[in-house]
Amino acid sequence: MGDTSFGGGWIFAFLIIAVIFGWGGGMGGNSQAATVADLNSAFAAQNAQNILLSSANNNYETAQLISNQNMQMMNQNNSNLVNAIQGFNQISSSVQGGFSNLSAQIADLGYKMENCCCSIKTMMLENRLQDAQTALLQSQTANIVNAQSQYLLSQLGTYTPAAAGVVI
Amino acid sequence: MNPLMNMMGNNSMMMKAFGAMMRGENPTDFLKNLANTNPALQGLDLNNLEGTARALCEKNNVNMEQLADQIRGFANSNIPKM
Repeated sequence: MGDTSFGGGWIFAFLIIAVIFGWGGGMGGNSQAATVADLNSAFAAQNAQNILLSSANNNYETAQLISNQNMQMMNQNNSNLVNAIQGFNQISSSVQGGFSNLSAQIADLGYKMENCCCSIKTMMLENRLQDAQTALLQSQTANIVNAQSQYLLSQLGTYTPAAAGVVI
Repeated sequence: MNPLMNMMGNNSMMMKAFGAMMRGENPTDFLKNLANTNPALQGLDLNNLEGTARALCEKNNVNMEQLADQIRGFANSNIPKM
């Protein structure tokens, strides 16, 4: 293998080529002027290219930063949406729980109403029974009074005032 | 385009020399092969590259050290980017 650095004979080979053929296509003659000018031009071009590359890198980094920020915002929005959906789910769950409780309460109320209705019916029947008993008692009393009156009237029919010493 | 590549494109000799150097070829062998088809290199003592280069620079009124530094610096600053 030969020398791959400028430390050996290659620098002289380049010097020979540079002086004879010149840089940038020049052939002999004003080789130094052409070489320096070409080198300066190349340096300037390289510098411009470096500036462009730096600018491109800056643009890339800026775009990347904006992209990252957008990604963070999207992630935040997604997180907010997830939280909102979870919140809705919690509300839905709470509402569902509320409906379940309401349903249970309605069922309990129905049970209580049925009990109440049963109690009212029972009370009404008891009232009717009591009324019937009262009516029966009154009827019996009336019958007794009537019987006593009939007896008394029958006794009056056989009453003789004279015999009794009564002056009419 | 890379400025070095742009300049190399205008000077096929330098482009070939850079290529040979990157491939690890011997500079003397490279110049001897080049001399076969380039009359400008014929008649030079290619077994003594340093002496030949110094003589050519003096003959053409070129500051060899300055030119060598420029070539070295230019190549070192550009080759890694190629």
